[in-house]
Amino acid sequence: MTSLRPAADARPAPDPAPGRADRGARARRGAAWWLPASVVVLVATVLVAVTIGPADLSVADVWRSIATHLGLGGALGLEPLGALPDGMVWELRLPRVLTAAAVGAGLAVCGVVMQSLTRNPLADPYLLGLSSGASLGAVLVLVAGLTVLLPVAAFGGAVAALAAALGLAGAIGTITPTRTVLAGLAVSQLAAAATSFVIFWSATGDSYREILSWLMGSVAGATWTSVAITGLAVLVLGTLLASTGSILDAFTFGDTAAAALGVPVARVRWLLLVGVALLTGALVSQSGSIGFVGLILPHAVRLLTGARHRLLLPLSALCGASFLVWADTLARTVFAPREVPVGIVTAAIGAPVFALLLWRGRRVA
Amino acid sequence: MTSDIGTDTSTDTRTAAAGPDADTGSAGLDATRVSWSAEGRLILDGVDVTAPAGAVSGLLGPNGSGKSTLLRVLAGVQPPSAGPTGAARVVFAGTDLLALPRRRRARTLAFVEQEASTDLPVTVLDAVLLGRIPHRSLLAGDSDDDRAAARRALDAVGVAGLADREVTTLSGGERQRVHMARALAQEPALILLDEPTNHLDIAAQLDALRVLRDLAGRGVTVLAALHDLQLAAQHCDHVVLLADGRVVAAGDVRDVLVPEVLDPVYGVRTEVLVHPRTGRPVLTFAPRG
Amino acid sequence: MPRRTPITVPLAVLSALSLAALAGCAQGPDADAAASPTASAGADAVGTAYPLTLDNCGVETTFDASPQRVVTIKSSTTEMLLALGLGDRIVGSAFLDGPVPDSLADAAADAPAVAEPLAEQVPGAEAVLGLEPDLVYAGWESNLTADGAGDRGTLAKLGVATYVSPAACKAPASMPDPLTFDDVFAEIDEVGEIFDASDAAADLVADQRDTLASVAPDDRGLTALWYSSGDDIPYVGAGIGAPQMIMDAVGLENVAGDVHDTWTSFSWEQAIEADPDVIVLVDATWNSAEQKIERLESNPATARMTAVREGRYLTVPFPASEAGVRNVDAVVSLADQLAGLDL
Repeated sequence: MTSLRPAADARPAPDPAPGRADRGARARRGAAWWLPASVVVLVATVLVAVTIGPADLSVADVWRSIATHLGLGGALGLEPLGALPDGMVWELRLPRVLTAAAVGAGLAVCGVVMQSLTRNPLADPYLLGLSSGASLGAVLVLVAGLTVLLPVAAFGGAVAALAAALGLAGAIGTITPTRTVLAGLAVSQLAAAATSFVIFWSATGDSYREILSWLMGSVAGATWTSVAITGLAVLVLGTLLASTGSILDAFTFGDTAAAALGVPVARVRWLLLVGVALLTGALVSQSGSIGFVGLILPHAVRLLTGARHRLLLPLSALCGASFLVWADTLARTVFAPREVPVGIVTAAIGAPVFALLLWRGRRVA
Repeated sequence: MTSDIGTDTSTDTRTAAAGPDADTGSAGLDATRVSWSAEGRLILDGVDVTAPAGAVSGLLGPNGSGKSTLLRVLAGVQPPSAGPTGAARVVFAGTDLLALPRRRRARTLAFVEQEASTDLPVTVLDAVLLGRIPHRSLLAGDSDDDRAAARRALDAVGVAGLADREVTTLSGGERQRVHMARALAQEPALILLDEPTNHLDIAAQLDALRVLRDLAGRGVTVLAALHDLQLAAQHCDHVVLLADGRVVAAGDVRDVLVPEVLDPVYGVRTEVLVHPRTGRPVLTFAPRG
Repeated sequence: MPRRTPITVPLAVLSALSLAALAGCAQGPDADAAASPTASAGADAVGTAYPLTLDNCGVETTFDASPQRVVTIKSSTTEMLLALGLGDRIVGSAFLDGPVPDSLADAAADAPAVAEPLAEQVPGAEAVLGLEPDLVYAGWESNLTADGAGDRGTLAKLGVATYVSPAACKAPASMPDPLTFDDVFAEIDEVGEIFDASDAAADLVADQRDTLASVAPDDRGLTALWYSSGDDIPYVGAGIGAPQMIMDAVGLENVAGDVHDTWTSFSWEQAIEADPDVIVLVDATWNSAEQKIERLESNPATARMTAVREGRYLTVPFPASEAGVRNVDAVVSLADQLAGLDL
């Protein structure tokens, strides 16, 4: 028997832009290199970013400080740095860079999961009202002056928003991706309105600046506690989410196809959403709602790797980490001595990149 | 080039499909009392369906008769509702499909939907490799076996040359065949298809049905919903005719595709001729009255 | 504890004199007109000649008579009127930044509109108009928008004059760059002129000048950070606003003085690198000095700053940190606190 001739079909297959046609092949060939390369880039990024800042510290000084804290001072015969420069490196810059890396990685992974789960290329980790809920929680405590409760309130707000969104979607009927997105939108708008109201009603004097900084997202206040929280969240939840590559692949053609491939669709969807909410909540509680990372990174990385999640997830995490570290470095040096919240930089970069992706005619996916 | 599906040595597939047996009892699909209702409306009313192993069975019926719903319930994608006469049973080769764990079921049966689309830049090969997911651990990547099975599936439907193309750039017919290849890559013993010949040119339709007949020849049980009665007449051995969620007739195609059965269901006047060479029915239709 | 220079005595004198001086000659130094908006009526006239037309933040404003019903927004303007003995003209106050200073406590107690403000935030236009004012005296330019107390043009058409504290003008042509005490005193004079209380104003200015002159700026070249608000990203006094003006008078060098702005967002890293000798804490109800100290001490990086380790803090209440009648008091207070620190 003969094999079926593709030409038997409607028309001779039009030859699309070569880039798109063999991107898959290219991706497969390069796949082995992407992960190790991005690990190297991330490590280098962290090492370099720590040495950059408005204060006048030489690279050698920075390394001296880190080495002494790591206990290598004696071995390498290094004198510790003075208390102040040492504090700048070890208590300000290093936690900040590490937190930015963790947050970037976590947001990127959550972005991939959300986009695949809702089959919506415009989805991001905050889709289900997570960031609006967190913002509402944060603003309430900021206005009440209970700043110390900020992380808890932000996390609680994110989780409450998710519960509300899923509850609303469930109350309508079976939970479908569309319903989930719409419910999340409703919860988002509600929380955003409440946040605006609280700000308008109670913010006095300069307190709006704090709120604005949180709403835009900033890692300026990162401490080693932030590193611990975000790092742990990314290591535990992020790794779990990043291992769901095959499951997310199964969703490529929709829920029915996934079910037919043996995936327990409803249960998996719940688990993944809860995982994303917990991870996003933890990240947002430390850094505020930094935008565009979760939205843009998955698309950018897909351009390199194609749609296979097994590579897309870890690579997005690594690229997200590097990206946010660089964005934060810009945020604290470009306008020195002033500092802008990193969310402004990610938006400034993210929006044109998004437009560029659209303009070049590539599928935004 | 021969298509080699079915001779792969993966475990767990088609243990009972050796020896095509026209008697549905032991090797084919035997579903009873399948019902499904939504929002108070009864879409399927206690449907009994059989599909013999080693044959291509057609599921026929006008729009709205419940064909898609029936296939989805049989595939385990939609749970059946409690029927008026008792709980549904879907047995295949002696195994209760509805009671199987999902992954095992996915290794036994494959389901090709009517419309499955994506916006993502998935390549054809990647799309077909999805069919291997039930066969490997969720944490593992593709093995060589997986890739070999995918290639075989691509060859069988004739889209091997498109392996590196993105699915979104294909024509409707090419996409349909990629979905069929994905199902074939699952190496199922039972394959359910919902209108697999939509979007296809005549030649491609014939090719698709020929693939299904090849599968049947290897002992796979094939049940395909078709809306083109002529295709069914030409290619199916066994047909089930649904109307308004009930089985109106089932059996050999020559027995079911007759005016007495078709006219009331479709609201037309049917004339059946016999093809001189194949002996199969040839149908023509005229409006009623 | 900071000691405030009592101005109750001069205030009593002013009150007594203003009655007699209404038709008398107004004496006192001419306001330095270099940075102040121009007035078309002479400052050395017997009383103010109405109608009086001024350029205020680029908007031409005309006063037909001495305003009798004034709505004040923010502490700076409220206290200005109280200090000039015009508390009885206030029919409504709003958006106050804190309690009035002790020196004005009695005057404030006598002004019911101050004791019970109209609103804690910027009041709406209708609420303001409901008091039938003839002047809305705003401390920030942004108070006078359609969403706030009312758009300036609209209010003018309704016969309500509007006046913004000139130090708060944001337009480059009108913004004082840098703000100096002459600008502050010029505002006092101008307000006096508007209310036909030029004598009171002149006396207040003279008194404040004397007080200011009595403070010798510290000459040890000490550096300071003016920490106004902000947690992750500090908001500090920069090079051309009231904080700089006050620090110059006290003799402190502003570590953020290179930034050409009134206040600016800063970075902790720069603050730590500069390691200021003292930290000036702005005490506001929404962000108190204690909260700032807590923040500085609990963060392991800022805790290492010399000023934090040794508790070298100077405190200034928020209303005194904006241009107004309390700036001189702030200078005195900060100078006293600085002298009290063991440096």
